[in-house]
Amino acid sequence: MAIDPATPDTTGTGAIREAGGDVPAAVGPDGRPAAGIGPYRLGLRRLRRNKVALAFGALFLVIVVLCLAAPLYADHVAHTGPNDNHVTEQVTVRGEQKDVVSPAGLPIGPTWQGRFLLGADQNGRDLAVRLLYGGRNSLQVGFVATLITMVLATIVGICAGYFRGAVDGVLARILDLIWAYPVVLLGIALGTSLALGGITIGPLELSGNSLYVPAAIIGIVYIPYVAKPIRGQVLGLREKEFVDAARVQGASSLHIMSREILPNVASTLIVFLPLMVANAILLEAALSYLGAGIQPPNPSWGTMISDGIRLIPSAIHLTFVPGAMLVLAVLGINVFGDGVRDALDPRARVRISAAREEKISDEAMEATVEH
Amino acid sequence: MRFWARIACAMLVALALSVFVAACGGGDDEGGGTTSAETTGGAAGGARQGGTITVLMGTAPDYLDPQLAYTTQAVEAHWISYTGLLTYARADGEAGTRLLPGLAEDLPTISRDGRTYDFVLRRGLRYSDGTPVRATDFPYSVERMVRIPWGGRSFVTNYVVGAQEYDTGRARSISGITANDATGRITIRLREAYGAFENVLAFPALAFVPSGTPMRNLSSDPPPGVGPYMLDNVVPNRSFTVRRNPLFADFRIPDIPLGNLDAINVRLVSNTNSEAQQVLNNQADIFDPGDTLPPALLPQIESQARDRFERKPVPSTFYFFLNTTKPPFDNERARQAVNMALDRDALVRLSSGFFEPSCFFLPEGIVGHPDSPCPFGDEPDIEGARRIIREEGLEGTRLVVWGQERSPRKEYVDYYTDMLNRIGFDAQERIIADTVYFPTIGNERTDPQTGFANWLQDFPNPSDFYLLLDARSIQPTNNQNFSKVDDPFIQRQLLRLNTVPASRLDTVADDWRSLDEYTARRAYNAVFGSISVPKFFSERLNFEDAIFHPLYFNDWSSISLK
Repeated sequence: MAIDPATPDTTGTGAIREAGGDVPAAVGPDGRPAAGIGPYRLGLRRLRRNKVALAFGALFLVIVVLCLAAPLYADHVAHTGPNDNHVTEQVTVRGEQKDVVSPAGLPIGPTWQGRFLLGADQNGRDLAVRLLYGGRNSLQVGFVATLITMVLATIVGICAGYFRGAVDGVLARILDLIWAYPVVLLGIALGTSLALGGITIGPLELSGNSLYVPAAIIGIVYIPYVAKPIRGQVLGLREKEFVDAARVQGASSLHIMSREILPNVASTLIVFLPLMVANAILLEAALSYLGAGIQPPNPSWGTMISDGIRLIPSAIHLTFVPGAMLVLAVLGINVFGDGVRDALDPRARVRISAAREEKISDEAMEATVEH
Repeated sequence: MRFWARIACAMLVALALSVFVAACGGGDDEGGGTTSAETTGGAAGGARQGGTITVLMGTAPDYLDPQLAYTTQAVEAHWISYTGLLTYARADGEAGTRLLPGLAEDLPTISRDGRTYDFVLRRGLRYSDGTPVRATDFPYSVERMVRIPWGGRSFVTNYVVGAQEYDTGRARSISGITANDATGRITIRLREAYGAFENVLAFPALAFVPSGTPMRNLSSDPPPGVGPYMLDNVVPNRSFTVRRNPLFADFRIPDIPLGNLDAINVRLVSNTNSEAQQVLNNQADIFDPGDTLPPALLPQIESQARDRFERKPVPSTFYFFLNTTKPPFDNERARQAVNMALDRDALVRLSSGFFEPSCFFLPEGIVGHPDSPCPFGDEPDIEGARRIIREEGLEGTRLVVWGQERSPRKEYVDYYTDMLNRIGFDAQERIIADTVYFPTIGNERTDPQTGFANWLQDFPNPSDFYLLLDARSIQPTNNQNFSKVDDPFIQRQLLRLNTVPASRLDTVADDWRSLDEYTARRAYNAVFGSISVPKFFSERLNFEDAIFHPLYFNDWSSISLK
């Protein structure tokens, strides 16, 4: 019986039914084949049951929506842009005129009204407006960086695993080279040099101030973190019967990689997706904090924390507010990502639990031996 | 009987002690000779002698070798430990810019053409290690400064005959400096008249060190010098001690006080917050004025330490340069628009109040600083500036604004970029690391349009500031004339004014004033003022009596314990 080699598993184990595999067909009570349920639908069902993951996913979604609404808030509520300085201006708070920035250089705290809702920064810029625009920039960099990572890592991982030999050797060494550098150091080195000259690759030209410069840097430094596991998975998949069957049928390498192998690594990629977004947002914040990410005066949560550091004792809101948003966004997508992983690959949870138990018993054993 | 004898002995000892203590604590009418280490005596009529204090520095001195050091953190210690032929009066404000003979017997005799300076060395001087000071030590010290090399050596190599040849290795000594140990006579010949040369001779980098001092960086074990204090106990990047030089009192050099404290322990700290807190809580004695007081602590300091904190203006010029050779600032009206729109009050607030706004290139405290109103108004006029930009067809012109990372300089550039966008430009920032900032913007390949720049005086002379507007300063690398000003009128004036000796600057004050007003009208830069620095002590010190020198900040030799 010829079975579509790419047909996903319906058993709920996360395994993919392979071409030529001797798998009994599921039958309904009437003797006819039972209506199949796809792994993704099954995963969605499992995800729906995971209320904690859904709540954190919703939290992340709310942050995204708020950040996307930044221009509306700036135009209709705060009436100021993210980079507009109001150093010598005054604002009326509960009928009282107050300096946005005091003569001693201290910015106003939260007013809990439309203008300067969360206060101002040293340059008299509306903190709430910068927070939302900063979030937009941080999320934009996070998503674009993740897209770059996922696309390039998938291509590299599948090619290295499928072709093996020289191709694998070259690609794996390049990945090792990137992996050998600490992520933040590599990001700082690239960020500092590219912020000055920008990037020019053929017709593609990015100025040093472009948001896509830190996105490209972060996207590149994380490639090995996705490409290596994909390569490992493909090394196993390429030996499976359904790949042999496709090869025997005369399918080209490109066809096999895109039609036979890619669907089989898709669930891994989906599991990686939210985790990489979270990592990318965090790295962007770290690079921006160190001056190698988003370039001033454009806001990002990282640059806002960095700008507020010197005023911590008197204006803690300058660092606390962007810091809290960063924590909530990363926590939201991380917990949601864990939920997605559990839903699509429940065995991962089993594997992790088993590994933990194994570690605990090893430690207990060692402790016993020592005593 | 024995009991009464004991009592009498005790009383005699107590009397002797009290006489000794009173003698130590008493002021010295002649300003010299008091070297006691007594720390408890306090006598009427003079500062309390002795004792040790702790100075905290958030930024380490660049070098502790006097012939390498250039930063304020280093020269604060050096100008009381290494004296040259000339020095400055120990006084606050403009009085502190008066030149005095240091190790020379008198101010120099200058030839009519302004190219030969003659000095006679004081007799009987000794270095802090006891070595006698000889006249020939001076050319050796200058050669050492050129050789190792000091960052400001061009003040010497550009003017002293043979110094350029020595610097480039074409000569084995500087032919323009001659000295005679027998007569103590020192003669310096210049290639051309240079009015500020007396100021150059007062740099601690041109102070005397013994002949034969190794021609290498001796920061970890600084060479002996001549001064009321000497450097000791250097722990690189952690601490050093400035200790009283017991030999100096014998020289009785007029106007150079012997100092009150026995020792000043200088400790480096990495956090200015903690630095300020320690001084506020009297755990340390002096907050280094080279550091920025955290704005967050200012209200607390101003309320709790009002009687031991003061803002002290420093002659300096902070400005945004406007490259006159590139669009849009090759257009004089565009430059005027920027000057019209600049809100100097905003920049004062960004400096936490440590700033004196001004629109003139020569700062207050420097001869020639104009008192006239700003040519483009004192209040910012955004609308007027926008109209000019529109009329000149410059709306939407792309600009890259260069700035430094450190606060508040980054905040200045954030403000300036926003202001440029408000008047119609399309400005973007480029913030780079402090350490590479000036070499980057001073490189021909960068050729920046506009950005932040500043200048703190090397010496109190207007020619030091006009170096930045001198067309001869335009260089492919390490350019300091960032606006690339090449104005024939300025050049003619500088050729004349730069030759007037520092001791006769007052005679040309009006000429400098009118030159500076002309520069402001041409809007070559958008000047926004000069900084102030904190004089901030612990409660243990006599705040009012301590001199704050316009060049070297806290004069440690004037500080005493209460």
